[in-house]
Amino acid sequence: MKYAPLVLKHLRRNWIRTLSTVLAMAVCIFLICTLQTVVDAVNWGLHTGNASRLVTRHYVSLVYNLPNSYKAKIAAIPGVQNTAILNWFGGVYRDPKDFFTNFAVEPEPFLQIYPAIMLPEDQKQAWLHDVRGCIIGPRLTERFGWKLGDHFQLESFIPPYRVGKPFDFVVDGIYHTDPIKYPGTDLGTMYFHYKYLYEATGQRAGIGTLTELIDDPKNAGSISKAIDAEFENSDTPTKTETEQAFRAGFIAMAGNLALLLNAIGLAVAFTILLVTANTMSIAVRERQQEIGVLKTLGFPSGLVMALILAEALLLGLLGGAVGLALADGMIHALPGIPFVGDVVRQFPGLGLSPRIVSYGLGAALLLGLLAGFVPALLAYRARITEVLRQV
Amino acid sequence: MTTTPATATTTAVSVQNVRKVYQRDSLQIKVLDGLNLEVPQGEFLALMGPSGSGKTTLLNLIAGIDRATSGRVLVAGTDLGPLSEGELARWRTRNVGFIFQFYNLIPVLNALENVELPLLLAPLSRRERRERAMTALKIVGLSDRAKHYPRQLSGGQEQRVAIARAVVTDPTVLVADEPTGDLDAQSAEEILDLMQTFNKDFHKTIIMVTHDPRAAARAHTQRHLDKGVLTN
Repeated sequence: MKYAPLVLKHLRRNWIRTLSTVLAMAVCIFLICTLQTVVDAVNWGLHTGNASRLVTRHYVSLVYNLPNSYKAKIAAIPGVQNTAILNWFGGVYRDPKDFFTNFAVEPEPFLQIYPAIMLPEDQKQAWLHDVRGCIIGPRLTERFGWKLGDHFQLESFIPPYRVGKPFDFVVDGIYHTDPIKYPGTDLGTMYFHYKYLYEATGQRAGIGTLTELIDDPKNAGSISKAIDAEFENSDTPTKTETEQAFRAGFIAMAGNLALLLNAIGLAVAFTILLVTANTMSIAVRERQQEIGVLKTLGFPSGLVMALILAEALLLGLLGGAVGLALADGMIHALPGIPFVGDVVRQFPGLGLSPRIVSYGLGAALLLGLLAGFVPALLAYRARITEVLRQV
Repeated sequence: MTTTPATATTTAVSVQNVRKVYQRDSLQIKVLDGLNLEVPQGEFLALMGPSGSGKTTLLNLIAGIDRATSGRVLVAGTDLGPLSEGELARWRTRNVGFIFQFYNLIPVLNALENVELPLLLAPLSRRERRERAMTALKIVGLSDRAKHYPRQLSGGQEQRVAIARAVVTDPTVLVADEPTGDLDAQSAEEILDLMQTFNKDFHKTIIMVTHDPRAAARAHTQRHLDKGVLTN
C-alpha cells in the first residue's frame, strides 16, 4: 500500500492520456458486457424450455401455417396429453416502437400446458368467456399503464392477419408467475383468443405452431417421429421438436448470434489491447530516466515491474468500472430504443448478471495486464547505466 | 554478502585491479584498465579527467550500478562482485547515496516525497519516513519547500533536494556525478558547501566526479584519470 501514492501520482501525470486510455478500455468492456448480456439472454430463453413440451410447425418454415385439422390428429397420437395452438400475431400497438410480443392461443389448453402463466380464478374465468379478452404480463401494465377492463387495439404486420381494421382487445387478466418454480418466464407478453383471430380472418388462419404436452420427456423423440410420420406424405408435412430445440432453431434463423457477437467483442478487445499497450509503452518510455533513478535508489527490478503493472491494472480496473456502468445504462435503455427495443424486449430479465460483471472486470484486468506486461518487462530488464545515459 | 573486516574499519572504498570493457557489436572498448584505488573513510575525493577517461564508469562501479569485467570492488567492507542483482539493490539502499548532475527528481512527487522515496524500501512507518525526510530537508535548508514540486524549484534547490534524498538513508558513501555541472556559480558554491558539511559534520565519505577545478579544490584529494588509468 505504501507504493499506492506513487502509482496514483504517475497516472495523474498526463491526465488526458490516462483519461483516453480509461475511456478506450471502458468502450471495450461496455461492448463486451452488453453483447454478452444479450447472448446470455438468448441462451436463457433456450435453457428455460420445458422438456415435456413439443412444438409442431410446418416442415418448410414458420411462415406457413398448418391446417386446423392437424390438432385433432396430433392429439390422438399416443403419449400426447394435451395440445394448444400458439400463433405469433405480430400485432403493433400505436407505433412500431411500442411493439410487444403477442400470441393468439387457445386459452384453456394453453393455461394447462403453460402452468407458469398464473391468473386469479376470476380473471381466468373472465378471459375464458370473453373472445375479445386478453391477458397481459405485469411489464405491459408498467409500460402502458393498462389495468383490468382497459381497451386497446393492435394491427398485425403479418399479411394473412391484416383484415383492414385493427383488432380490439379488452384486458381481462394480468398474469403473474412463480419466479422460483418458473424462472425466466416472460412477464411482458399478451395472449388472446385464437378463436378471435380465426373468425376475424374469415376462418383463413391456420396453426402457426402447435404445442403438445407429452406424458414423459423420455418419449420426446419417439412422439416427435410419430407426429411427423403422420403427415410425412401430405401436402403439409410437419416438423416436431422439443421446445428447447425449437427456440434454438428460431434463434439460429438470425445466424449464429453468439458467435457473431463474441467475434465483435473479441475484435474490439484486441484493438483496444493494441492501443492501450502502445499508450503504456509510450508512458514507460518517457519514464526511462525515472526507472533508472528508482533502480539506483535500490528499488529491485521486480518492484519496478510490479509498479508499472499496478498502473496498468489500475487503468484496467478504472476502464472496467466505467465500461460496466455504461453497459448497465445501455442495457436499461435498450428496450426504449426504436426497433432495437422490439427485439430486446423479447428477452425476459435482461440485465447485467454477477457473472457478466465478473467477466467484464476480469477482461478489463486482463487487458491491463497484457497491455502493461511488455513495458513492465522492458523496465525490469532496463540497465541503470543504459537508461541514465539516454538522459 | 561478502565482508572484508580488515578493510572495513579504515577503508570506505577499495578498487582492486579493476578492468571494465564494453562490447559494442564486434568492437571491445576498454574503459578501465587494471585500476586500483583506496578511499579511506571520511575522505572527500574528487575524480577528474577528460571526457571518456572512465570517471563516471568508475563511479558507477563504486555505487554498485554497474559491474566490473574483472577485479574487485569493495565498498563499506562488501565485495560487490558476487552479489546478485537483488542483493546489490538492497545494498545500494543502505550504503550508497547518489547525486546526479541533472538532479533526477521524480517530477510527479513533491520535495518531501522525493526525499522519502528511498525510505519506502526500509521497514519504517509512514510517520517515521516523513520525519526522516523532513529532517533531511531541514539539513539542506529546504523545509519550507517540502510541498513544492521540482518544476517549482530552482536548479540549486532541486540539487539540494537530490542531496537530501541521497543522505536520508544515512549511507556510508556519497557518490556525485558532476553535481555542479548544471548550476550557476552561486548555486554551485552552495552545493559544494553542503557537501563539505556532510563530509565534515556527518563524516560521510564522498567521491565526486567533476570537470570543474573550483569544485575539485573543495575536496581533500584530487585524482586524475586518463584512458582508464589513474595518473596521480
